[in-house]
Amino acid sequence: MNQHIEITRIFDARRDLVYRAFTDPDQLARWFGPEGCSVPRDSIEIDARPGGHLRFLMTGPDVSTRVDTVFTEVVENEVLAAEMEAAGVPGVAGPLRVQLRLEFHDEGNDKTRLELRQGPFADGQLGADTRSGWESSFTKLDTLF
Amino acid sequence: MGNDQLSVVFGALADPTRRAILARLADGEATVSELAAPFPISMPAISRHLKVLERAGLISRSRSGQHLSSTLRPAPLQEAAGWMERYRQFWDGSFDRLDAHLRRAASGRESQ
Repeated sequence: MNQHIEITRIFDARRDLVYRAFTDPDQLARWFGPEGCSVPRDSIEIDARPGGHLRFLMTGPDVSTRVDTVFTEVVENEVLAAEMEAAGVPGVAGPLRVQLRLEFHDEGNDKTRLELRQGPFADGQLGADTRSGWESSFTKLDTLF
Repeated sequence: MGNDQLSVVFGALADPTRRAILARLADGEATVSELAAPFPISMPAISRHLKVLERAGLISRSRSGQHLSSTLRPAPLQEAAGWMERYRQFWDGSFDRLDAHLRRAASGRESQ
C-alpha cells in the first residue's frame, strides 16, 4: 500500500471504444460512479485536450461532490492525465486535490488494458515534510495489521 | 476520525523511529527503556516520539509502579488504511458498470 491507488483492468472492447467511454459525456453519465452514485448527464462538461476541463457533479445517498478536473496530457485513445479537485468529499475538510492518470493499452483480441493511477492522497493536508515518509509509513502499516 | 485527526496519524507515521516503535508494540506493551534499547537516541527523545504517537491515538500509556508502559492502539491505523480503500472501491464499482456498459454497446452494434 502506498499513497497512490493503482488499478489495472481489462475490458472486452477496443481501445478507442474504452477511451470514448471516458470522453463522451453521454457515455460517462451511464457508468461513472459506483452503484448507488450517479452523475447527472447535464452536470457533465468534457473538453478533452490539454488545459481543457472535465466537470461533473456526483450525487449519492449521503454525498454530493462537485469535481473539477483539468487535463494535463491528452493523447487520443492512449492517455488521459488530469489534476482533479473535488469539494465535499466525505472525510476531507477542504477540497481534495489529486492527480489521475489513465493509460489505454491494446491487450489483443480487441481487448483493452486500462491502467489507472490516482494520488497522492491526503497530500496538501499533510504538508510537504510528511510526503517522503508516507510511502514507507504504509509499508510498515501493512505489517501491523 | 476527522480529517485533522487523520493528518495527525499520518504525520505520526512519517518517522522511521516512530514506525519502529509501533512495530515493537505490535508484539506487546513495553516500557520506555525497553523501547529505547534498539535505538542510538536518548530516552527523552524516545519520550518525545511516544508523546507524538499518543497524541495521534496510536498508543496509550499507563503507569504500573514506577514504570510507564506503552500499548499499541491499532484503530487509527485501520481507519487511515480504510480511508484510501474507499477510493479503490469507487473505481472498482465504476469499472464494473463500465464493463456492463461496453458489453451493452457491443451487442447494440452487432444487432444493427
